[in-house]
Amino acid sequence: MNELFPSPAAGRFGRRLKRERGPRVPVTIITGFLGAGKTTLLKRFLATPQGQGTAVVVNEFGAVGIDDALVRSSADETVLLGNGCVCCITRTDLQQALRRLVVERERGELPDFRRIMIETSGLADPSPILQTFATDRALGSVFHIEAVVTVIDAVAGSDTLQWSAEARKQAILADRLIITKTDIAGESSSATLAAKMRALNPGAEIHEAVDGEIDPTRLTEPVSDQRNAFVAEAAHGDNIGSFVLTGDRPVAWAVFARAMDTLMQLRGADLLRVKGFLDVEGCKGPVMVQFVQHLAHPPVELEMWPDGNRHSRVVFITRNISERQVRDLIAAIKALV
Amino acid sequence: MSAATNPLNKNGEPVMWNFKLLAQNDLGGFGGMGEGMSVQIAKDGRRIIWLAHESAPKNFTAVDVSDPRQPKVVVQTELPKPYMRSNSLELSGDIMAVAYQTQKVNQQPAGLELFDVSVPEKPRSISFFDCSGATSRGVHQLWFCDGEYVHMASGSPDFKPSHPQDDQFYRCIDVRNPTKPVEVGRWWMPGTSATDNVNPPPRHPLDKGYRAHNTNVYPRRPDRLYLCYIDGGMFVMDIKDKANPKVISHWTNSPPYTGFMHTAVPLFDRDLMLVTDESTENAGKDWPKLIWILDMRDEKNLVSISTCPMPPVDAYKDRGGRFGAHNIHENATVPTAWQSDQIVLGTFFNGGLRAYDISNPYQPKEVGAFVPPPPKGTPAGAVQLNDVFADERGIVYTVDRHTGGLYTLEMDF
Repeated sequence: MNELFPSPAAGRFGRRLKRERGPRVPVTIITGFLGAGKTTLLKRFLATPQGQGTAVVVNEFGAVGIDDALVRSSADETVLLGNGCVCCITRTDLQQALRRLVVERERGELPDFRRIMIETSGLADPSPILQTFATDRALGSVFHIEAVVTVIDAVAGSDTLQWSAEARKQAILADRLIITKTDIAGESSSATLAAKMRALNPGAEIHEAVDGEIDPTRLTEPVSDQRNAFVAEAAHGDNIGSFVLTGDRPVAWAVFARAMDTLMQLRGADLLRVKGFLDVEGCKGPVMVQFVQHLAHPPVELEMWPDGNRHSRVVFITRNISERQVRDLIAAIKALV
Repeated sequence: MSAATNPLNKNGEPVMWNFKLLAQNDLGGFGGMGEGMSVQIAKDGRRIIWLAHESAPKNFTAVDVSDPRQPKVVVQTELPKPYMRSNSLELSGDIMAVAYQTQKVNQQPAGLELFDVSVPEKPRSISFFDCSGATSRGVHQLWFCDGEYVHMASGSPDFKPSHPQDDQFYRCIDVRNPTKPVEVGRWWMPGTSATDNVNPPPRHPLDKGYRAHNTNVYPRRPDRLYLCYIDGGMFVMDIKDKANPKVISHWTNSPPYTGFMHTAVPLFDRDLMLVTDESTENAGKDWPKLIWILDMRDEKNLVSISTCPMPPVDAYKDRGGRFGAHNIHENATVPTAWQSDQIVLGTFFNGGLRAYDISNPYQPKEVGAFVPPPPKGTPAGAVQLNDVFADERGIVYTVDRHTGGLYTLEMDF
């Protein structure tokens, strides 16, 4: 369509947006191990003014739909996914559920929800959910993942992180980590857990919830843009590490895009999450990029650099891929393009 | 689903989607506002928005919106007669043009007044251009952004319409010497003057008249007038020779629609045009009143390619008052106006303020909505958002037709 009616005010990636999600419906993914307190947190949130207009998608694991039953009493619209784990069995169900929400809303059969909360089963790896929004362009144009929130309880959390690779991945991929049950666990256990989580995911915000109470914006607002600038390189165990690719010069989009294509083709499975601002040649504002394993979210350009700091900063969470390797790859492609 | 965000709820609860309300000001209890909104940067740096009132007793109100979170009334003026209304105003530099219309023909004063507003607290009249007459109600609407010409929908003492409803036509007034405004051109739809030798146009079922409404002329195309003519549709006019305006093309949606074409805004860089209807009936009786998007690649052959999607009529028609399109942000060519050819901001009376992304003009998408609660004291029972303007900072101003006054908002999309 834009070939017929192009707007000179549009950027390379279309209309420049005020914020990354633009007008899309915000989605919060609440993940966390079994019994960590996800449902309590969600239930409390739904009772707040900020919780109004929320549609809830619950992914059950196990035969008895306890989580769903708890939520349904207060949620405006709850979709219960089938028995299984979002990450493996019911990913298609998630797509279908979200599409159905959109269609029924358009038809006027559903109220006009303004937010989606997806509560994953305790065993879910969040990355396939992130991928869902990248693979399904129809969903990606309507929904935007605003935050991945991982709930970990202070009583059992340390042990769980020790023995469960899924729990570690949930913590590593989180934008926010919320520690629950601190009143039961005591200060020192909570502090120990916070330190472990900090080591696992130095970029995430860490908050405590007492009896499920937390500032509702912790479940709704995106994490501060500034945060990414301070993420230090970290080793997480499981050979997972994170680093921030920074740069003070604009990069050619063709170079960055081809480097990421190559990385995704060769090592997609090890590219757990890549997200950040990129200073792209010819673009006025920062270009928000996001990759999850083999998939790229469509890039969007913002109207302006949020803090006036025109520097690329892209956080990589990878398995056995180093910053040096990524930098060398980009340099090699730059030399060839 | 909560009532607060559910447009299907028929009880008139507010909607807020991707806008942030900064403030509301009921303008001292005189919050019934018309369709004139213009922003001035005063000599002392204050940002003043000038607002037309929908009806007497007030003439216009200036509000200091330097801090849009705390709008403050700077001045509010009175109309000299209770049967007058000054529904429209525009500002160019420190000169403001105000339209005066009377309830009936042959009432005075009816016409155009120019003010020096260089001291916002003390608007000073520069001149008055009389348009009153035996068959005239004066000026309903005007356009003034180049400091040289006022383009307006007006009656005239020397114009006798073929039907009493058809009394206002296009007039171009040279105000280069603001103390002595002079008419330099005029045009009416053939058949609407009693002296025309063609038949008058057929009346529409709602019969709102064949009259000029918006008369937009943009300095980048000073030879083009985008003229809406209520039940007569819309005309693209060649006004290179102001004394002899010529029709380039005509587009209408009525019948089968119900007339009252209101505003046409060209998006020059995209070869597109926005055209709005005005809803004038309560309870959705004239539904649907829409914002239309036209392919303007060939200005002689305008083609409607889409409309901006409306919220469900069943959810709004019984909320009170009117429901449907009216004014849009018009990209006036002044330094204080936001310019956008990708976002459309429009007011829909009880349907509130709506924002549409028209990046793909074949599929406009609603990206924001603001439907405030019924303002205190409104006779309509629901908000009736009447007009919208966005300044170059992207701050959005919208006004209620009855009591709500001014709302200031931020766009979040």
